[in-house]
Amino acid sequence: MIHRGAIIKMVVIAAVAATIATLVAVLIPWLPESASEQMDRITFVFWFATIICIGIFSLVAAVIVEAVWAFRVQPDDDTDGPPIHGNTKLEIAWTVVPAILVIAIGVVSAVVLSKNADAGNHPLQVKVFAQQFAWKFEYPGHVQTEELVMPLHRAVKFEMQSVDVIHSLWIPQMGQKQDVVPGITTSIVITPTRTGRFTLICTELCGLGHSTMRAPVRVLEEAAFEDWLAKEHAAGSPGAAGAAGGAAGGGQSGGAEAALGKTTFASAGCGGCHAFTPAGTDAQIGPDLDGLVADAKKAGEPEDAYIKQSIVDPNAVVVSGFQSGVMPTTFGKTLSPEELDALVAFLSGKEAK
Amino acid sequence: MTSTVEHGAETQHGHPAPRRRGIFMRPGYLRALWVTPLFFLIGMYIVVGIRALAGWDPTYDWEYIVLIGGMVTAPLGFLLGMGVFDYWLYWLSGRPTLVDDHANHGAYRWTDYFKVNTDHKVIGVQYLVTTFFFFIAGGFLAMLFRAELAQPGMQFFDTQTFNGLVSAHATLMIFVFIIPAFAGLANFAVPLMLGAPDMAFPRLNALSFWMLPVAGVLFLASFLAPGGAFATGWTSYAPLASEQPFGQVFFNMGVQWAGASSIATALNFLVTIITMRAPGMTFWRMPLLVWANFTTSLLVVIATPFIAGSQFFVMFDRVLHTSFFTPDNGGYVLGYQHIFWFYSHPAVYIMILPGFGIISEIVSTMSRKPIFGYRLMAISLLGILVLGFSVWAHHMFVAGMADWLRIPMMISTLLIAVPTGVKVFSWLATLWEGKIHLNTPMLFALGFISMFVIGGLSGIYLAAVPIDIHASDTYFIVAHIHYVLFGGSVFTIFAGIYYWFPKMTGRMYDERLGKLHFWTTFIAFNLTFFPMHWVGLDGMPRRVADYAGTYGALNMVVSIASFVLGASVIIFLYNIITSWARGPIAGSNPWRAMTIEWQVSSPPPVFNFDEIPQVVGGPYEYGVPGARHAVLKGGALQESHV
Repeated sequence: MIHRGAIIKMVVIAAVAATIATLVAVLIPWLPESASEQMDRITFVFWFATIICIGIFSLVAAVIVEAVWAFRVQPDDDTDGPPIHGNTKLEIAWTVVPAILVIAIGVVSAVVLSKNADAGNHPLQVKVFAQQFAWKFEYPGHVQTEELVMPLHRAVKFEMQSVDVIHSLWIPQMGQKQDVVPGITTSIVITPTRTGRFTLICTELCGLGHSTMRAPVRVLEEAAFEDWLAKEHAAGSPGAAGAAGGAAGGGQSGGAEAALGKTTFASAGCGGCHAFTPAGTDAQIGPDLDGLVADAKKAGEPEDAYIKQSIVDPNAVVVSGFQSGVMPTTFGKTLSPEELDALVAFLSGKEAK
Repeated sequence: MTSTVEHGAETQHGHPAPRRRGIFMRPGYLRALWVTPLFFLIGMYIVVGIRALAGWDPTYDWEYIVLIGGMVTAPLGFLLGMGVFDYWLYWLSGRPTLVDDHANHGAYRWTDYFKVNTDHKVIGVQYLVTTFFFFIAGGFLAMLFRAELAQPGMQFFDTQTFNGLVSAHATLMIFVFIIPAFAGLANFAVPLMLGAPDMAFPRLNALSFWMLPVAGVLFLASFLAPGGAFATGWTSYAPLASEQPFGQVFFNMGVQWAGASSIATALNFLVTIITMRAPGMTFWRMPLLVWANFTTSLLVVIATPFIAGSQFFVMFDRVLHTSFFTPDNGGYVLGYQHIFWFYSHPAVYIMILPGFGIISEIVSTMSRKPIFGYRLMAISLLGILVLGFSVWAHHMFVAGMADWLRIPMMISTLLIAVPTGVKVFSWLATLWEGKIHLNTPMLFALGFISMFVIGGLSGIYLAAVPIDIHASDTYFIVAHIHYVLFGGSVFTIFAGIYYWFPKMTGRMYDERLGKLHFWTTFIAFNLTFFPMHWVGLDGMPRRVADYAGTYGALNMVVSIASFVLGASVIIFLYNIITSWARGPIAGSNPWRAMTIEWQVSSPPPVFNFDEIPQVVGGPYEYGVPGARHAVLKGGALQESHV
């Protein structure tokens, strides 16, 4: 028979150990400093679960340590322990109590989940376009940017699409995370609670440039945000020129094309894998694009055609020392004809100066 | 079975010696040496023939040739050459088969372990040795990418190679180490525990084993493919997986071979456990290891076809240009994840329930007490089995599936903590007031209970949707899965090997080295994986070759500890190999255990029992005066053929 006194003793020891462990645990910054209302709530659930889990682990560890301490025998001891086969009350207790605890965690989680999905009445709608290996954001009025700028204390509702494979959007300090899936639109709500600079990272393995697929994030006061948005809108942000390329018509000058080529280079994520001096990138995953002209000569093809082919159908000619099947083959679909031409011009060095 | 009776067995069993064949025609490596390339050529010219007839260019398309010739027909040729199919082919072609020819049964010398063998004990050892080879290979890959991750920035590998190392590490560990290592331990122990002379289908058992090296070799060979090894993680999500270099196909096909092996073994266990229990062995008298493998086999049989399907479909998207999981032409991108996790979540239980069984055996025997709440222990296994099929989408809380689905999946996932908790508390109650023998198997068992509880509790965090949304796809997941699969499964595999080592080999391992192995593993394991909880919650995603500089210090600690963890395996291997060769003779029952495998000699006789045992009581009646689990007449303690 397992004595009631022993059970009470172990529970008390575990409670003391759990209290000490909790006091130590709260000193460690497990989670990043919260920067959103959603993360505040996630942090609450985290500590709610942590206290329960520390309690359970302390009980298990205390029993193991005490059992080894008190009941260990020498190897040559060939006696047996008491033939205790079970105890119905105890078995019911350790079925019911954990069930209650996990249901409590479940209820708290469900409440927090529904609050975290609530965008309120006036969310700022931001569209997110993900592709290997770059992020693009579109604000109301077709303002496109590569930096995510959010207003303080206003819910931002992201509507997200992917053009190639699955990506996932996460800003660690803001907690919320959502996969971006080709073929469907997914959404997520974030309400920033402090200004500052953060980093948005892709958390779903999306190919060789996955670890470079990041975007800068800035949270501004509401007024500063409105100023920024108005300025972007008036300037016709570089990205907007690309998206509205058809509407802008043939009015683009050569200078505008060069600018477009450079922004396309950045927004398509070319710099994640390729070094190219005019764009100031030095990545080593793919071939060095400063040598493009020489590569075209080696392949015996006209420069522009070679460059265009290398973007749209990258496996047609593969520079020696590199492998085929690595570069995304979707740029022919994801770039507009204007962007593609501008990018070719930018890479060939004709219009970059 | 076929005609290659060379050792004493044929005279012993009185068979007429059949016609002898040349060394290149007898089953074995020499025959495999020419049949394998022959079958490769057959596969190759099926592809080339079709392409030539259809007029497709190029006629020699090496991707398709390697896929059909290298991954389908050549492995079949290898199995044929080794002699796995001989009996069935004789039977199919109407030639005489020797029904009770045991020529390929039992090991009489060490080379017998390298042949096709139908003895469950030999197959069990074959499984364990093979899986440990892949364990070491997988661990080596882990140390390569831990070297890369020791510092931020890129040092040793390019990112595609890094992704390949990560993917191959997980794949080797899951598909050709943990799952089949349990199959190996169970292969050895379950028929003995049931009082059965062998598994129900010994030839199928041999086939199951020999498919395993095919899978492992395919996974490793992917590093030779142009573009490198498969690099989409062991989860291999569509549509990325259908756009990757050719190495991806090695994963798709390797999983088929490993899966077929698993399914065949599971069917074998089910039939064996249901039909071959000794007289008196009711379900409520079965040792918990048998219960655990019964539930595991049910999981395997029901769930594994799903991963086979998912891998075929995602491969077809690539090689046949279908659209199962691509958004164009109406494919269903999230469908891949649903099908994949419908297998791969139950797979987590496939990788832990046999371990639960091993721990139950060890905790009861080494505490000299009956298992506390035996029936509830068995029922909780069934509870996990049923609940295990209703939780798969907790891997998809951020995947973009229907929002409402997250709540029921969260509740069912949280409820799995209840039967799991029952097991943990029952082990603790079994320890209480026992006579605890703190030897190596028991150390690993106690290490397992404490580490698995941490893994289970971090699982509660991940079941709670809001926390999971933050922690998903971060190093917190990596920490969780390693507490479950290393602190959980691998600790139980070590415990099981130490526990049954004297029964398998007849010799005792070195206790001091065993304890040294435990403590280095236990400490290095915690230093490797505990900090990952923190870096993950703080913002470091998983599967990245490069990361923010703030995580540099902890990653350095993790990398150094992981090298120590790798080195600790050397202690284990040294202990096992030297003890196997010249350890002290162990005797038939060094642990004074009650289950049937300990009532026969070590190693057991080739056919286990001269006379089938009579089971007369429960398996853990320690401390009950005069209690016995089974009564053996002949065969008990009889010396084996060694």
